[in-house]
Amino acid sequence: MRGQRPPAGHRVPSGESGRRYPHFDVLDQVPDWDPATAATVVGRLARQPDLRFFTPAEEATAGALFDRLLAQDGPPGAPKVPVLQMVDARLAEAQTDGWRYADMPEDGDAWRTTLAALDEDAAEQHGAASFADLAPERQKELIRAVQDLHGKAWHGLPAQHVWSLWTRYACTAFYAHPWAWNEIGFPGPAYPRGYQRLGVGLREPFEAADADPVDPTGGRGTG
Amino acid sequence: MSGPVRRRLREAAGTLRLTASSQKAVRQRNASAWLLPEDGARFDHRLIEHMRRFDDTEEVDLVVVGCGAGGATLTQRMAHAGWSVVCLEAGPFWDPDTHWVSDEAGSHHLYWTEPRVISGTDPVPMGSNNSGRGVGGSTVHFAGFVPRLHPSDFSTRSDDGVGADWPIRYEDLRPSYERIEQELPVAGQYWPWGDPHAYPHAPHPVGGNGEILLRGADALGLNARVGPVAITNGRFGNRPHCIYRGFCLQGCKVNAKASTLITHVPDALAHGAEIRTEAMAVAVETDPQGRRALGVRYLRNGREHLQRARTVAVAAYSIETPRLLLNSANRRFPDGLCNDHDQVGRHLMVQGAPQTAGRFAEEIRAYKAPPPEVSCEDFYETDPAADFKRGYAIQTVSPLPITWAEHVAAQGHWGHDLRRYMQDYVHWATLGALCELLPLPGNRVTLSGQKDRHGLPVADIAYSQCDNDRAVVRAARATMERLLRAAGATEVITIERYAHLVGGCRMAARPEDGVVDGDLRSFAVPNLLITDGSVLPTQGSANPALTIMALVDRAAERLVAGARGGPPERGRP
Repeated sequence: MRGQRPPAGHRVPSGESGRRYPHFDVLDQVPDWDPATAATVVGRLARQPDLRFFTPAEEATAGALFDRLLAQDGPPGAPKVPVLQMVDARLAEAQTDGWRYADMPEDGDAWRTTLAALDEDAAEQHGAASFADLAPERQKELIRAVQDLHGKAWHGLPAQHVWSLWTRYACTAFYAHPWAWNEIGFPGPAYPRGYQRLGVGLREPFEAADADPVDPTGGRGTG
Repeated sequence: MSGPVRRRLREAAGTLRLTASSQKAVRQRNASAWLLPEDGARFDHRLIEHMRRFDDTEEVDLVVVGCGAGGATLTQRMAHAGWSVVCLEAGPFWDPDTHWVSDEAGSHHLYWTEPRVISGTDPVPMGSNNSGRGVGGSTVHFAGFVPRLHPSDFSTRSDDGVGADWPIRYEDLRPSYERIEQELPVAGQYWPWGDPHAYPHAPHPVGGNGEILLRGADALGLNARVGPVAITNGRFGNRPHCIYRGFCLQGCKVNAKASTLITHVPDALAHGAEIRTEAMAVAVETDPQGRRALGVRYLRNGREHLQRARTVAVAAYSIETPRLLLNSANRRFPDGLCNDHDQVGRHLMVQGAPQTAGRFAEEIRAYKAPPPEVSCEDFYETDPAADFKRGYAIQTVSPLPITWAEHVAAQGHWGHDLRRYMQDYVHWATLGALCELLPLPGNRVTLSGQKDRHGLPVADIAYSQCDNDRAVVRAARATMERLLRAAGATEVITIERYAHLVGGCRMAARPEDGVVDGDLRSFAVPNLLITDGSVLPTQGSANPALTIMALVDRAAERLVAGARGGPPERGRP
């Protein structure tokens, strides 16, 4: 199984990676996973299927949207969690969560509509042919504008339901990937080995200590 | 001896009696745990290969729709009593070894993901904590918390002026609760709330998350207890001990957490029941006058079939059960089967389930050990001093990375901010509340204009909260934040969620108020039963699986007795 790991690929290429668990690699544990689980997880490291759902225009816009939502802003060509391909596969297979808001179309149509709407915003506000043509900072502004609308309408759809759609698909893909687990210190599948050292502050031999335990909230305590 | 000492001795004696008692009676009633393989495999495939198979044209004693908490329990009970039973299940027969993975995203197939529409002012997103598919239904991916309802749950209308009174009392259900708790079996400390009782298995050791809830409760002078969870703590039949893997919600590959796939299906198969998988029910068929159910029409391998039966039971979940009845409209029931009084689909309930996480300087590593660890039911009952009726329970929940990312993203974090927050994962402990939201007639399942792959209209689920609902959720949130801070959290964040859909075909004393009677028999069609969570008139603050199974245990007992006593009478209470 270990041979399937892409070389030097266990870090997510952005400024966020490898700070807190610099030497932790969940893929070291693959030999201890059951075969069904290992096949599922290691499969995420393999080359992903070619795109089937997104049109080229949607591919460009969705790719940029996912890179901004998940801060995958490494240099061009650097390896990254293939969120675009993972979401495309889900949509091509209509693998939804089994529900939609009454004021939203089915997920596939909702993705097409909202990606086109991002392109419209890019054209109207910056005269760009595509959202993907904008500089990352401009892209972030447009994304933030959707988030800030909360319950108000954005291109005829409730902005908070659009936000929910985008972040749900993006987070589900990204945090399914072992590279993302390395970044957060999560040791992944635990069958058949289980855990033996339970309790606050206790670690198994294969768990790594947080090397840089900075409180991201800054201890604000705002609730 | 002082009162508290005497009480503790009584509790200890009750626990000892239960944990040391012979398992002979359990095994005679339901040998499922002894019918699992001993060789490390998680299911005996010979049970499926040698399963009795009925012909559609053969009129069986009972056809059941759905093989989850309710359907599998009924199938086992009736097959055990000698009835010929076919259980139709839309999903597959799971093999825990090969079909289930120790992974969040890879478990998507365990959930019912056929299309549904959600509406209302407070729409309910259907997450993975809702209905399931395949043999075992949602018990495959439920956390495993199995608290009982409290006696007060059965008379909230009379006592508190809200909700509804049940047509049965807590005492009617107590023997069934005890039987199911032994069959799952349930592990936990002596339970001091509601009707105090012991559990057959000892409480599990707790992980970091459970430790935090115990610590917070202790600091505030509240009660918290370890359990009650349907997870073996010690050997039970051929089921092994829990290994504290933390993936309870992804299907237990260990066979330690109960699902009806392993707690009731093996015994049902051994007693000649057929579980017909990949069979999607289309409609319940009745005679032209609508006096008797004749069987169930279903789709399998692209063909429509009719399984004939002398009795029909629907156990397809609070959404698909009303949907099936509404899709079964005929000349006698133009607005949907059993819908003479416009009750089908109404009073759908979901628990408010706000989730509060607290940040600790120590490493909590909440992903270790089962997510269901510790509970507090101090706020379950109506507090005369509060500005709302009824209450809430607090439990540990331990989100894995994807679920945790949703929690963090719901705070508005994205981009670098999200990634930084997520790297702090091991420092957070998470609690969840189950708030009793009230049954409201406008919260209901109807048919939408949209159709599914089978050409069947899909369910529209309308949900809106009332003022009491909002007040109880607010209170629960405040208590969880207080608990976490008392345990040492430097920061707390809360997200709003829902959990556990029930109601929609509630039981009542009169046909004008509900769809079924206290024996789960429909008022309109005497040989049609509804045997799932949709029959609950109120939901309390308890996870519903145990109550569903207990109600079905009781209904099955009455059904068996009724068969001996001739055809059922109409209009019994």
